[in-house]
Amino acid sequence: MPLDLDPSIIGREFDHTVYGPVEAEELVAFSRALGATRPEYIEPGAELVGHPTFPVRYKGRKFYPENLPATIDVRRGFDAGKDIQLGVPVRPGDMIDVRSTLHEVYEKTGRTGSMYFVVIRFTMTNQRGEMLAVIDNRFMHR
Amino acid sequence: MAVPLRPSEVQEGDELPARELFLSKEQVRAYARAGGQWSPRFTDDEGARKEGLPGMITPGNMSLGLLVAMVEAWAGPGSVRRLGVTFRGLVLPDRTVRLCGAVTGKDERARTVELDVWLESDEGERLVIGTATVALA
Repeated sequence: MPLDLDPSIIGREFDHTVYGPVEAEELVAFSRALGATRPEYIEPGAELVGHPTFPVRYKGRKFYPENLPATIDVRRGFDAGKDIQLGVPVRPGDMIDVRSTLHEVYEKTGRTGSMYFVVIRFTMTNQRGEMLAVIDNRFMHR
Repeated sequence: MAVPLRPSEVQEGDELPARELFLSKEQVRAYARAGGQWSPRFTDDEGARKEGLPGMITPGNMSLGLLVAMVEAWAGPGSVRRLGVTFRGLVLPDRTVRLCGAVTGKDERARTVELDVWLESDEGERLVIGTATVALA
């Protein structure tokens, strides 16, 4: 079924959430769960930084905008992939500012019918305005 | 510990040292807890089956993190600038997976390389595929 999409919602920010401050223990637990052994990822202290993928644990409080086409069943779907640009690492005490925009919506037709892909862009910065990560989260819905 | 690679040390077609690891359910649960993804599909076989899955699965974000760790072991900490992945199949815990990569291009001026990266099952099925841009020294 063709998508009835209001083009003006593309690129529009629909959520802004700030998390933190990040605690050293959170950074260490995340890195250890990935099997990290580098001291800068697992030893609390002045040199401690988050694993580069630490920002993926954050998303907006509102995951999707409210005005997606009704043909997309947002209750059913799965994580189809991610594109991440990495900036400066997360450090203990950082605040994580997450701005969510609807980046792209598209349809693909396969053997089992139509699939709708919704790409949400999370732009994350710290309290100094430095870019932590830009994450395009691609979800697939039937 | 890996030291940052120099452009002269890298050629198109080079393969990264593959990493093989047994992903235990405990490790996946630890990631789900630390990664803010504590949900039955990532923590509990019975709960995952109720969602139509064969059992608990590994979060896609964890696969992403393991791929970055594999690249950093080769190119040095903080070297990954960009990573894009597609989740093609379920990564089931309590099995061995292999993390692999290969150099597909090199930009001498920008001092970066492009990689293909993937996570494959013990049977060689590529469950997560992607590309990465990595900074060199």
